Amino acid sequence: MRRSAAQAGQLRVLIDVPADAAWNMAVDEALLSVGRGAALRLYGWSPHAVSLGYFQRFADFADLPAETPIVRRLTGGGAIHHGDEVTFALTCDPALLPRIDASYRALHDAAVRALQSVGVADAHVVGGAPASPRPEARWCFAEPGGGDVVTPRGKLLGSAQRRIASPRPRILHHGSIVLKRPSLTPFVAAVADTRADEDAAAELRDALVREFTHALRLAPRASRLTDEERALATALSAGRYRDASFLRRR
Amino acid sequence: MRPKNCHYLKSHEWCMIENGVATIGISDYAVSHLSDLVFLDLPRKGSSVTVGESFGEIESVKAVSSLYSPVSGEVVDVNKDLPDNLEWLAKEPFGKAWMIKVKFTAKSPDMLDVAAYDAHCKAEG
Repeated sequence: MRRSAAQAGQLRVLIDVPADAAWNMAVDEALLSVGRGAALRLYGWSPHAVSLGYFQRFADFADLPAETPIVRRLTGGGAIHHGDEVTFALTCDPALLPRIDASYRALHDAAVRALQSVGVADAHVVGGAPASPRPEARWCFAEPGGGDVVTPRGKLLGSAQRRIASPRPRILHHGSIVLKRPSLTPFVAAVADTRADEDAAAELRDALVREFTHALRLAPRASRLTDEERALATALSAGRYRDASFLRRR
Repeated sequence: MRPKNCHYLKSHEWCMIENGVATIGISDYAVSHLSDLVFLDLPRKGSSVTVGESFGEIESVKAVSSLYSPVSGEVVDVNKDLPDNLEWLAKEPFGKAWMIKVKFTAKSPDMLDVAAYDAHCKAEG
């Protein structure tokens, strides 16, 4: 199905209240699977939780505090302790971001511009080759490498992507920008290193919308989940993302 | 040079058919775009695959991508050594890095010959 004329050239913007891990991952998968056009969802985590990369081994996280909610993402990469952060999920057709490497550059450059505009002046993209992936580093933020968004304190933005070709070619790009240093990953950088005030998160969300729409050459449009997206998210939240067999699939 | 005796999906899987069995892998184009590969999940021998549906997943440093089957049928062989030797995909994507063999009952109507696939890759950039 072709995008409607109204959707073409627009970026749906969904600003969501913090939600639990299963719901967050379910909504992102729904936007990937049945969403149309491009959508940027901004959200948070309540309660705070750990997300594992799609291929990570559950057994490698047996040392986490027992009360820590854990969810498996559809996207790859390392685990993230989602505490106080601004999380984004960009879903779109691959025609908008055809090459994986270029898509990271475009989105990370946009994120750096957003961070700098809210006062995180030392945020920048590291040059050189990407960091080596797991199993050496189980945490996404542990070993910054080329292409990562960092400050001198460490990695500030964790990113991961999923690409599908069926039922339609689509991309899900996850990003987590740390506001305050989480207890399980104290080695990360945080926006609070320079902006600890209460307005920082809202300003950063606005800046991300502005910079992503600019980078993607789209116009922002406030949006909510469609009935189809909500129905799928509800089913996935109750099913896959609370299912121990999916969480422990590796 | 891509093999002329293979057929290709736009999602970059290749398929070589011999005696009712389809050998399936991913193309050099897919490998070059995925860059540094990390993990590969393949189905078990004896499992079923369906045209157009995912039969496995591959993770590079930056993205997880699904692998789509050009045929329906039973998986009769799996390249078990490939997940531990992902460098084969860059060196011999159409040879040593085959992924699965399927005794098929149906083929995708959307498979491309090598000329059409070359053109598709060129258009994707």
